[in-house]
Amino acid sequence: MGCRSTKEANLISSYTVGIYPRSEELIEATRQNAKNLSSLYLKGKKEFIAVQKKANLGYVCDPLLDWDDIYRPFSKLKSVRIEALNRVYETNTFYRKLSFDGDLNDAGNIIKSNIALSLLPKNRTVCITEPYTFADVHLSTKYKKKEDFTIAISKMLRKEIDALVKVGFGLIQLLGPSIAYSKAVDFGLIKDALTVITKGLNAKTILHLYFGDVSGKIENLLGLPVSGLGFDTETTSLSSIRKHSFSGRSLAVGMINSYNTKMEDKQESISKLNDLISNTKPNETFVTTNFDLQFLPKNFAVKKILRLGEIARGVKNA
Amino acid sequence: MHKFFPTQEIGSLKKPAWLLNVVKNSEISKDDKAKARNDAALLNIKTLEDLGLDIIYDGEVRRVEMYEEPVRYINGFEFAGRVRSWDNKYYNKARVTGQIAFKENFHAEEFKFAKEHAKRDLKVPVTGAYTLADWSYNEHYQSKEDLVMALARKVIRPLVQDLVKKGAEIIQIDEPAATTHPSEMDIFRESVNESVKGINAKFVVHACFSGNDYESLAPQMPEIKAQQYTLEFANRDTWDLGLSDKERNGYHVLKLFKEYGFEGEIGIGVTDVHVDKIETPKLIRDRILYSAKTLGDPSKIYVNPDCGLRTRSRGVAFEKIKAMVEGAKLARDTLVN
Repeated sequence: MGCRSTKEANLISSYTVGIYPRSEELIEATRQNAKNLSSLYLKGKKEFIAVQKKANLGYVCDPLLDWDDIYRPFSKLKSVRIEALNRVYETNTFYRKLSFDGDLNDAGNIIKSNIALSLLPKNRTVCITEPYTFADVHLSTKYKKKEDFTIAISKMLRKEIDALVKVGFGLIQLLGPSIAYSKAVDFGLIKDALTVITKGLNAKTILHLYFGDVSGKIENLLGLPVSGLGFDTETTSLSSIRKHSFSGRSLAVGMINSYNTKMEDKQESISKLNDLISNTKPNETFVTTNFDLQFLPKNFAVKKILRLGEIARGVKNA
Repeated sequence: MHKFFPTQEIGSLKKPAWLLNVVKNSEISKDDKAKARNDAALLNIKTLEDLGLDIIYDGEVRRVEMYEEPVRYINGFEFAGRVRSWDNKYYNKARVTGQIAFKENFHAEEFKFAKEHAKRDLKVPVTGAYTLADWSYNEHYQSKEDLVMALARKVIRPLVQDLVKKGAEIIQIDEPAATTHPSEMDIFRESVNESVKGINAKFVVHACFSGNDYESLAPQMPEIKAQQYTLEFANRDTWDLGLSDKERNGYHVLKLFKEYGFEGEIGIGVTDVHVDKIETPKLIRDRILYSAKTLGDPSKIYVNPDCGLRTRSRGVAFEKIKAMVEGAKLARDTLVN
C-alpha cells in the first residue's frame, strides 16, 4: 500500500452509475399500472436522492426509476420505433431494441425532460450511453453503415448533453459497456464519436467500462477525448489498472459491485484504492458503483450507496 | 413401429385465471387450494393429450416460477427481493448465504399426480444447476463454479434420482442461462454431467438462444450426457414456406451440431413463443423437413415450441400446439410418401 500526498487526498469524490431499483411498493404499482404511479416515482426518487446525500456522495443523480431501460426515453423521438427484447450482455435483464429510421433533429430535450431536475442539488451527474455502444445495441434503417449510424447518434447525444450542461450537470457519465464487452472494437470510430460529444464541452466526462475485461485496451482508452475512465473492478483487475499512469486524467473506480448482495469490506476497499491512486496518480479519483444498482433489490442498493460513501470518505481521510 | 417427429411441450403454460384467483384468496382453505391445483393440472394434462402431443407434462401449473419454486426448497438460499427482468417484469432473486443442501423432492407431488392421470409419456422439467447459480447472488462459495457444482451434486442429482425412483423416465434439465456466458460452457457441461451421473433415464437439455446462435453450445454437445436438446429456432426463422437455406435461416446451426459430431436427438422449436401469430401447419412441416434433411436422420427430430408457452394466453398457446401437431403429421406424410 502506498501513501498519498495531501494534494491527492483532496481530490476524491463519488457517485453512482446508471438506473436504480424500484421499491416493492413501486414494483407492485408498475405491475398493476396504478393510478398513483407518478407520485410513487417521485416519492422513490426523493428517497434515493436523500440516501445519496446521506452518503455524502460528491455527485448526486436522478435514480431513473421511471425509465424502463436506459434507452427507452429515446423512443419518444419521431423517427424511432420500439423493437424486440434483447438481453443486456450476459445478464438476466433485457432491454427493447430501438430502430432509428429517420433524422434525429428533434433530439435535445429527451433526457432533460425525463429526469427530476428540481430534486437534484447543484452537484449533479447524469448517465448517458456513449455513441459506440448506443449504435452497437440498436438498429437503423436510415443509417446503413455503422460509422454513419454512430456519428448520427453522437450528434443526437451532443444536443442532449448540451441541454444538460446548461442546467448545471457538471459531470457526464458516458456508459460504454460495448467497448468493454466486445473483443475487438474500432477505436478510431470511438474516438471520432467521442470527439463529437466532448469537443468544447464545459463539463467533465467519464467513460465507464463494464461487462467486460478492458485490461488489454487501457492504452487505447487513455487516448480517447474524455476527462477520465471508469472501471468495473469485478471484470478489470486493479492490478491491470495500476500499471498505467492517469496523470492529467480522472479515474473512476467501480469498487461497489451492483451485481452481488455481498457487502464490500470498507477497510479492504480503502486500502486497495489508496494503493491504486498512489500508483496511477490521477488528477481526480471517483469512487463509484461498477454499474447500475438496479441489479439489486432496493434495500441492498441503499446499503451499497451508504458503503460507497463510507469508502470514499475513508480514502479522502487517508 | 417408430413414429417420426414425436411432438412435445417444453414445460410451462400460463396458469388459468380462476386458479390464480383461488390461490391468492386468503379465505380459501389450504385443502381447497390443493384441489384447485389438481383440477388445473388435470385440465392441462387432458388438454395437451387431446391436442395430440406425444410427450406431455402438467404445464408446470403448481410451480410459482422456474427459479423461485426450487429455490424455496433448497437449504442455503435466502430470498433478497425482486429485481427487474425487463420493463415491469420482475423475478424474486435469492442470495446463497450458506452450504447448499437438498431438503426434499419438491416435484414429487406434481409428478405423482401427472403419472396417475396421464396416458402419454411424461417429460419432467427440472431447473438446472447452472441456471440456479447464475440467477442468484453468490455470497458463500469461493467461485461460481463451486456453487454450480454444489447445486449439481447436492440438489439436482438427488432430486432427479428420486424422480426416477418414482417412475420418471424422461427428465428435461432446463438451462435458460446455459449459453449466456460463452466463456463458462465448461462449467455448464460439467454441471449437467454431474447432475445426471449414475442415473438411468433419458435426459433432455433445454437451453435458450442467447445471441450467439448456440455456437458456444455446439462443441460441448457430444460431451454432455444428454440424449436430446430442445432448442429455440422458430423465433429467428422466416415465415415463408420452403426447404431452402434462405427460407429456413433460423435452423442453419443444425449443420454446426452435426459438424461437431453430435449424434443425439434435437427437439426443434417450430413455434415462436414471443408472438401471438399462429404458425401454419405447412410452415411447421417445412421447418421439420428442413431439420430432418440437415441432420440427415429424421428419427433424431422431435418437435416442440421454442420454449415454454407461458408468455402467451392459453388460447394462443393451444392454437400453436394444435398447428404444431398438424404440421408434424404433414411432415410425416411427406416423409412416408
